[in-house]
Amino acid sequence: MSRFSGRALAVAALAVSLAGCGGSPPEGRADTAPPARSSPSPAATAPARPLERSVPVGLRIPAIGVDTPVLRLGLAPDGTVEVPPVTAHDRAGWYEHSPTPGRPGPSVILGHVTVGSHGDGVFRHLAELRRGDRIEARLENGTTARFAVTSVRTVAKAEFPTEDVYGDVDRPELRLITCGGPRSGGEYRDNVIVFAGPAAPGRSPHDHGER
Amino acid sequence: MRRIILSAVTLTGAALLAGAAPAFADGPSPVPSAVPASDAPSPGTEPTKVPSPVATVPTEAPSPVAEGQVSVVPEGAPDTGVAEDGSSGPGAGLIGAGSGAALAAGGAALVAVRRRRAATGA
Repeated sequence: MSRFSGRALAVAALAVSLAGCGGSPPEGRADTAPPARSSPSPAATAPARPLERSVPVGLRIPAIGVDTPVLRLGLAPDGTVEVPPVTAHDRAGWYEHSPTPGRPGPSVILGHVTVGSHGDGVFRHLAELRRGDRIEARLENGTTARFAVTSVRTVAKAEFPTEDVYGDVDRPELRLITCGGPRSGGEYRDNVIVFAGPAAPGRSPHDHGER
Repeated sequence: MRRIILSAVTLTGAALLAGAAPAFADGPSPVPSAVPASDAPSPGTEPTKVPSPVATVPTEAPSPVAEGQVSVVPEGAPDTGVAEDGSSGPGAGLIGAGSGAALAAGGAALVAVRRRRAATGA
């Protein structure tokens, strides 16, 4: 073997070894890269959770400046619903044969629009509520049932929508009832009915503060 | 010359082995470390998150249908507005008082004019 061939062999062997060292790192880098993971996000909002049965003791409607204690009302002898007494600084009343606020079903709360010579009633501005306005019912056990207005209807008393107001529903809802429309002979022709459903968490864009 | 060639060959052989050793070391290690490391956390964390919302929803769903509706439906419409008196509105009292005052003032003026005429004999 000549001197030239020996050197050539050594150089070739060195080149082969260098080539083998350079090829391995990309494979290792590819293997160590962490795989992409997609974790499912949990549900954004929960459905309305019914509250424990507890009698309402207070009602707050920030949009129309209502913050009133709540009485208990039953049935009058003629089968109609009782209404709160006509006094100065009158209060709202909860119909005790309806579910308590926050329980499944339509909870019914009534209040006067006017109280005779005493002037305006606690629900004097009820017809001004808009969809999305918040309503809070404070319960005897210290919890609060929160609702948002879904619709406001003014209907003739002669065509009172009994099924819409007192009919079964599959979630906690609220009905606020007062009188409205033109007066004749000391009586109002219509009823103003506010329908409300469970409020979503957070502040409503329709809340426009105390009045 | 042979010694040089032999030494060169042994050197290259040693270099090849030295290069191959890290290659073997690199080869097996990423495979087991990458796969279990990526798989291990996902089953560990995700199942704990997924069942919790699912577990709460079914408990809430049946309850609304079960109970809590109006037990006695009242008759008719509630009378939740008592007007001040009859068909008069809240400003009726003011209007009545104002018209009364105007009549009284007119009567007083008439009396004064008659007295002045009687005094002057006109």
